[in-house]
Amino acid sequence: MIRVEIFSTQGCDKCAQAREALKAVAEGLEAVRWREVDILAELDYAVELGVLSPPAIAIDGVLVFPSLPAPERLRVELTRRLEARAKLGSAP
Amino acid sequence: MKREILSEPDAQALTVGKLARLAEVSADTVRFYEKEGLVAPARKSAAGYRLYEKDAVRRLRFIKHAQACGFSLAEVRELLTLRGSGTACCTDVKSVAVHKKLLIEAKIRTLQTMSRALSELIARCDGGLLPLDACAILAALEAAEPHRRATEEMPTP
Repeated sequence: MIRVEIFSTQGCDKCAQAREALKAVAEGLEAVRWREVDILAELDYAVELGVLSPPAIAIDGVLVFPSLPAPERLRVELTRRLEARAKLGSAP
Repeated sequence: MKREILSEPDAQALTVGKLARLAEVSADTVRFYEKEGLVAPARKSAAGYRLYEKDAVRRLRFIKHAQACGFSLAEVRELLTLRGSGTACCTDVKSVAVHKKLLIEAKIRTLQTMSRALSELIARCDGGLLPLDACAILAALEAAEPHRRATEEMPTP
């Protein structure tokens, strides 16, 4: 299961629109878990990952997109990771 | 900012000195903020003195308070732009504040790590009046040096 976490603050309408498009990408793929992190509620975790300028996206606990990517870029990144995992899983 | 040259004295206008007194800053601070583009005189008197609107007092207090909260001059400028923008909303200001908080929290953690490293060094010292070449702190710092040099001298692939 790939863990995708989006870091943002509550009440940001600009974030909300972009978030929905990215969420649709993540939820459209199997074996991807989407989580929305409120930076102020999980400040320590956000700082630990190096989030400085929200909104940002981490994948499997690593900050991969310090600013929000286009939905297609997220899809490409997640697909690449899923394929890499599938290869590892089928390796003898 | 548009400036006018007045031939008549204006009771509402503030000179640099008066503005500085009301905002509780020095006249040099007002000039510095002006040079940085954070505040500007509304007009000049016939004698060439810079004259400011009363709102400049609020603006200067805002700048001072924002700086006290850790905002850089560039960030203060951004906040002032948001303050004067008709299209900005509170979430824009909040995102600037959240960004600043994240930077401060990251800095705190770095300082905590440095503090822990110093505690470890200090714990190595027995005190006393040993000569410097027996100093455990200096020895520990020097011990880190060869490793760093070795890393630096590693050939690049």
